[in-house]
Amino acid sequence: MIKTYYESGMGLSTERQAVVFDFGDCYTKVGFAGEAGPRSIVPSEVRCPKDGRTRKVFDAVKADEQYNLLVEFIHNLYFRHLLVSPKDRRVVVVESVLCPTSIREMLAKVFFMHFEISSLLFVPSHVVALSTLGVNTALVVDMGATETIVIPVYEGVAVLHAWQAQPLAAKAVERQISDMLQEREKSNQSEGYANLTEKMIEDIKVRACFVTTLGRTQKAREDKPCPCPPSVNYLVGPGSNMLNISGDIRENAFNILFEQDADQISVSTMMLDAITKCPIDMRKPLAENILLIGGTSMAVGMKARIKEELSYLAASAQYSEKLKLRTFKFHSPPAKENYTAWLGGAIYGATDIVSTRSLSKEAYLKDKKVPDWVSLIYNTLNEGVKRSI
Amino acid sequence: MAYLVRNDIVQYACTCGQLRPISFLYFCRHCLKLRCGFCVCHEVESHYCSNCLEILPSAEARLKKNRCQACFDCPNCLNTLAVRGTTVSVRDPDDPGKVNSQKKYYHACFFCRWTTRDVGLPDQAVQTVSANGWAQKNTSNVQRITVLLEHAKLLGMLERHEREQREKKFTARFRRNFTHLPGLTAAHVRKRAGLPPELPAPSTIKVNLAEFQPAVAKETVPELPTDIFTKELDIGTVTTLTQRFAQPETQPDSIEGLLPSYKHLSTKQSQRCRECEHNVSKPELNPASIKFKIQQAAYFYVPEVRIVTLEPLIGGKPSEVVIVFINPSQHPTTLSFITLQEAEEEIKQHQTEGTTDTAVQQGEAPLSLSSLTKPVTVVEEPRPIDISMTGEVQLPAADVEIVLPPKDDAAEYDDSGEIQQFHDDPKIVIHRRANKASLRFTVVPKTDIAGENCVIGFAFRYTYVNRISTPAIATSEQKPQKVQLCTRIFMNCGKILEGTQ
Ligand SMILES: Nc1ncnc2c1ncn2[C@@H]1O[C@H](COP(=O)(O)OP(=O)(O)O)[C@@H](O)[C@H]1O
Ligand SMILES: [Zn+2]
Ligand SMILES: [Zn+2]
Ligand SMILES: [Zn+2]
Ligand SMILES: [Zn+2]
Repeated sequence: MIKTYYESGMGLSTERQAVVFDFGDCYTKVGFAGEAGPRSIVPSEVRCPKDGRTRKVFDAVKADEQYNLLVEFIHNLYFRHLLVSPKDRRVVVVESVLCPTSIREMLAKVFFMHFEISSLLFVPSHVVALSTLGVNTALVVDMGATETIVIPVYEGVAVLHAWQAQPLAAKAVERQISDMLQEREKSNQSEGYANLTEKMIEDIKVRACFVTTLGRTQKAREDKPCPCPPSVNYLVGPGSNMLNISGDIRENAFNILFEQDADQISVSTMMLDAITKCPIDMRKPLAENILLIGGTSMAVGMKARIKEELSYLAASAQYSEKLKLRTFKFHSPPAKENYTAWLGGAIYGATDIVSTRSLSKEAYLKDKKVPDWVSLIYNTLNEGVKRSI
Repeated sequence: MAYLVRNDIVQYACTCGQLRPISFLYFCRHCLKLRCGFCVCHEVESHYCSNCLEILPSAEARLKKNRCQACFDCPNCLNTLAVRGTTVSVRDPDDPGKVNSQKKYYHACFFCRWTTRDVGLPDQAVQTVSANGWAQKNTSNVQRITVLLEHAKLLGMLERHEREQREKKFTARFRRNFTHLPGLTAAHVRKRAGLPPELPAPSTIKVNLAEFQPAVAKETVPELPTDIFTKELDIGTVTTLTQRFAQPETQPDSIEGLLPSYKHLSTKQSQRCRECEHNVSKPELNPASIKFKIQQAAYFYVPEVRIVTLEPLIGGKPSEVVIVFINPSQHPTTLSFITLQEAEEEIKQHQTEGTTDTAVQQGEAPLSLSSLTKPVTVVEEPRPIDISMTGEVQLPAADVEIVLPPKDDAAEYDDSGEIQQFHDDPKIVIHRRANKASLRFTVVPKTDIAGENCVIGFAFRYTYVNRISTPAIATSEQKPQKVQLCTRIFMNCGKILEGTQ
C-alpha cells in the first residue's frame, strides 16, 4: 500500500518536474522547472463563456470573480499548454516584490483548494533572475506591462529601501501612441483611428515603433529636430482602411519613458536614484552589473538608449556630485528578456529548494494561509550560502 | 421556440453552487450528487495529435515536449501546414546532357500561403520530414542553462546542509519516531518525511561550485540600426507578438526568422468526483473515438426540465407557464415540489450529517502514517448561488406527487397511446406522454422591472434508484436502494412586459 503510494509519486515529486508560472499583468509565462524556456507565453486573459468577451485575469474587482477567472485561466494553462494534471504536482510562482498579499493568498487558495497541487513556492522575480547569470549582485530593472521596477540586489540580498517603481512601461507607451494618434485625428478626420483596439495599439508599438537616440531627442527639445523617419502604413483589420503611422509617432512614442518633466522621473533617473540610495561601496558593482528584464526592454533601441541616458545623466549636474560613476555595464542572460524571470524560477524550481522551502498542501490546509517565509524575498538562497562559505 | 431550448434558459444548481444547464452537469452515482466542470478533478488521460490522430504515451509526450514529430504548424498564422509535392529537374551528374526529374516536398499553409521556401528551407526528398534541419534550437543558451542549473542545484544542496545542521535536534527526534517501524531504511524515512535523498559532503559541493564561471557584464549593448531613420519599413515583414510567442526561445522580430514548429498535442481528459474519487467521465483512448468508457452525465439520471409554453409576463400579474418534466432513467420516479429555502435547509442538513465521515483529516502531525497512506481530500466550500430572482412561482402543494414512468426507448415509436392511470389532478398535470409530464405553474413577475428577464427558482424532489451497492448495504440487502434526492432549478422565463392598466 505504502509502496504504491510512493510509486505514484505523491508527496514526493522530485522526479516530476514542478510547474513554473510567471503571472504578468499582460502576459503569463508557463513551463516546467529545469527547462531552458517556457512552454508558452500567453495573454493573461480568459474568454468569458457567457458573453464571449475576453477579460483580463488580474482586473477583477470582486474576490469571487477573481477566483473564477484564475481557475479558468490556470485550467487552460494546464490542459491546453502544459498538458499535465495539476493534482499532486509542485508549483513555483515567480512574483514581483510589488505583488499584493491578496493576490498571493488568492493564488494559494486556487492552487491548493481547486487544483490540489502538492506544494507551492513563491520566488521573487528580481532575485531569481540573477540565477540566470550566476551572480549575486546586480541592479535589476524589470520593464513590464504596467510598471518599471528597479531593485538593487547586493550579494543575494535585495536592498529593499532603495527600490524604485513607476508606471513607466508598456502601458504608458501605448497610451502615448493612442494620444498622438488622437491628436492627429483632430486635424485629419478621415483616418480610421477610432477603430483601433488596445491590441492594435500594442501591435503598432511592437511592429512600427522604436526607441530613438538621446542625441536626436535633445535636438528636438532644442527645436532643431532631425528629419523624421519614414511613416508606415498599417492595415486596420481586413477590408478596412490603411492607417498612416507617422514617423513622429514611430520615433517618439517611447520617449515618454525618458521624459524628465515636472516630477523629474524617467526610467534612467530611477536607476540612478536606486543606486544613489545604496551605500557607497555597493554603487560601482551595481552600475557594472545591470540586468534589464521584462518585455518593454525588448523594444528596438531600448538598451542603447538606456546606456546613453545613464552616461549622460551621471555626468550631468544632477548626479555627478552624488555619484562618481562613469561606466555602466549590462548583462545578457541566456534568455529573452520577457521570460528571464521565468527562467530564474525554472532554475530555482529544479533545486532542493522546492522540497525544503515550499508550502506543503498539509501545512496550507491547516491554516489556510500563506506564511511569510514562503516567499524568499527576505530570505534568499545566496544568503545562506554566504554564511556557510 | 429556439428560445425555449437555448441552454441558458433552465439551469440546475450544482452541489458546489454553480449554475449550469443539465447538459453540462455530471451525476456522481456514488455520492448521488450533481457535479460540474468546476467541482470535479480534471486529469489528462492521453496525448494525441489532432492532425494525424497519432496517440503518444505520456512518457513519450513528455520527452517530446508535447509535440507531434510528424506534423507542423505554420509559424505565420498557427494553422497546420500541409505537405506539397513538386517535380524538380536535376542535371544528371554522370551524363551532363541528361536531365532527371525528381520528386521533392515542401510544406505550405493553405490558410495564409506561407511556405517553407519563404524562409529558404530546402525542399525535402521524403514526404515525412524529419525536420532536424528546421529545429529551432538555441543551443548555446541551452548549454549555459545546463551549467547554471548545476550551479543552482549545488547551492541548494549547500543550503540544505546548513539547514539540516541547524535542525539536527529535531531531525534526530523524528527519525527515532520512524525507525521503530519494521522494514524502514534511512532512505525510506527521508522519502516519507518528504525529504530529498542524502546529500554529497559539503566539501565536494564546494569544490564543484568553485568551477563555476558567473556571467560577466559588458559595456556594449545592441545598437539601434542606423538605417532606421531613412529606410522605408514594410510592416508586413515584422512579426507580431503572437508569432514571436509561438517560438518563445527565439522570438524573431523579422518574418525571415519564422520556422515551422512541431504541432502541439491535444489531450483527452477524464473527470473525477473529488469527494469519492470515482470517475464521472472517462473517454475512450482512441483519439478518433468520440465515445466514453464512463459517462455519468446528469441527463441520464436527473429529470430534465423544459419550458413548453409561456403566457405574456406582466409585472404583478399571475401568468401560466407550462413546464415539462422528463424522466431519463430506467426506473419510475416520483416528483414533488418544494421551495428553494426548504431545499437549502435539506442540503445543509445533509452536509452536517456527511461531515462526520468525510471530514478532512487535519491538525494531525503531517508525518503521521495515516496522513501518508490516506491522502487528504480537499473539497472547496460550496458557494451561495449567484442569481437574483425577479419572479415568484406558485408551486403545487408539497404532498402532490407526480409519478413519471421510466424511459422506454421503444415507446418513442409507439403511437398507440396506451393510457396509464395516474390519478393526476387535471389542474396541475395538463398532458402526459410516455416518460414525460407537462405541468402547469403560475408565475408572478415582480412589479416595476419591466424589460428585465423574469427569473424564477424552485426545487424538486425525485426518487432515484441506487444500483451501486456500498459495502455496508451489500451485506444486509442486495436489492437496489430507493433514495429521495433534491435538485434546485432556475429558469429565465423571458422579458417582463409593461403592465397595461
Ligand atoms: N518579444 C517582444 N518584442 C517586443 N515587445 C515585447 C515583446 N514581448 C513583450 N513585449 C512587450 O512588453 C510588454 C511587457 O511584457 P511582459 O514583460 O511580458 O509583461 P508583464 O508585465 O505582463 O509580465 C508587453 O506589453 C509587450 O507589448
Ligand atoms: Zn459543481
Ligand atoms: Zn501529428
Ligand atoms: Zn499559415
Ligand atoms: Zn462522488
